Amino acid sequence: MRNLIDFILKYSAVFVFTFLFVISFVLLVSNGRFHSSVWFTSANALSSKLYGMSNGVSSYFNLKAVNASLQQNNALLENEVLNLRMQLARYRSLYADSVDFSGTRRFDYVLATVLNNGTRHPRNYFTIDKGYADGVESGMGVADQNGIVGIVNVAGKNTSRVISLLNTTQHISVRLKGTNTIGSLSWKVNDPNVAYMEEVPRHSTFQLGDTVVTSGYSTSFPADIPVGTVLGKVKTDNDNFYVLKVRLASDFNHLTTVRVLKDKFKNELDSLQTLDISE
Amino acid sequence: MEITNITSPLRFVALFIGLLLLQVLVCNNILLFGVAVPFVYIYFIITLPMNVSLPLLMSLAFSMGFLIDLFGDTLGLNCMASLILSVLKKPIFYAYMHREEKFLAAIPSISSMGWPNYLKFILSLSTIFCLIIFGIELFSFASFGRIILMAASSSLFTIVTLIAADSLFNREPDRS
Repeated sequence: MRNLIDFILKYSAVFVFTFLFVISFVLLVSNGRFHSSVWFTSANALSSKLYGMSNGVSSYFNLKAVNASLQQNNALLENEVLNLRMQLARYRSLYADSVDFSGTRRFDYVLATVLNNGTRHPRNYFTIDKGYADGVESGMGVADQNGIVGIVNVAGKNTSRVISLLNTTQHISVRLKGTNTIGSLSWKVNDPNVAYMEEVPRHSTFQLGDTVVTSGYSTSFPADIPVGTVLGKVKTDNDNFYVLKVRLASDFNHLTTVRVLKDKFKNELDSLQTLDISE
Repeated sequence: MEITNITSPLRFVALFIGLLLLQVLVCNNILLFGVAVPFVYIYFIITLPMNVSLPLLMSLAFSMGFLIDLFGDTLGLNCMASLILSVLKKPIFYAYMHREEKFLAAIPSISSMGWPNYLKFILSLSTIFCLIIFGIELFSFASFGRIILMAASSSLFTIVTLIAADSLFNREPDRS
């Protein structure tokens, strides 16, 4: 026994090193497995508090740019409201008001502030200041005023961590606006403004500058939320599919206020899907 | 009377917290020219006195890296890199310095090691550190050349912040 203790004391540095090295190695290679616990993410109480305080100062810096994009978006929305009002008035005059549309709205918004954000890692995440106390759950889509930015990964009580669109593990189903061309959007490190729309069928037609929107095939995002615009075609080895270079609509270096999209039909759709699998 | 090596533990606790905050709130958000990231927090590992036992040094370095990882959502990356750095600190220190009595408890700094040796010391450490960080993180995502470019430029940027930190925190009294 004494010998054993002597041995351990003599080589304590080796033991400590091995122990710590194994821990860090396990943390490194199992990236994702520990993320079910909010304590292992930047949404934990300590870091979200700290980021909240820091954000209280730094959020003032890019107010001007945010304001400009909000104004622009507001103008677009006002135009759309006017258009829809005109259409509604026309249909009201044609048909009696017999159909009640209230209650059929599928998505709800939760407004949230981005506390910290990164774009330089291959796997980027950001933290927002709303959690399950506000109805945020993992799997919900997140968008800012320009387009989609990510999907909620872990929800804490008052904070959540979002997998950024700029994360190599993230694939989002997208569509070319006004067509039936579906593809899968993924990011390839380095440039925070550019992502790639993969698995675009070869027979599909597109033009530079075409808008890419969400397909609506998942419960994370409703259809037709902007994602970006087509920059060009990338050469690939695969003859059956195109890969399109997409300029992302959102400025990921200056994320400030985002909306978490709550799908009211999520439980219903999920239960239908599990029904399908179990059979 | 030896007054140059007054090292209260409290000073290192303050340094630990200060460097952690500086790294997480400021330096993690910097990406100079799209390639260079300053890892100022390794100053904590570098500046611990040479007589700190290796297990303690490794544990402190690991905790620092682990906290940086928690805040930055890079689980495992910084704790592994700073762990390896803490192991290499002593061999690299004595590669440039003679094993003399006065260095046994020395705090590595410009004043204790001299400019050329200190520069070589932090250059070696920060280069190794940046190679580990970018090697692990970008291994399957970026080309070899880009990893080297990012490691080299980040290492240079880190050295600048280390020298700044050293002249801030290690101002030794002129009169001895």
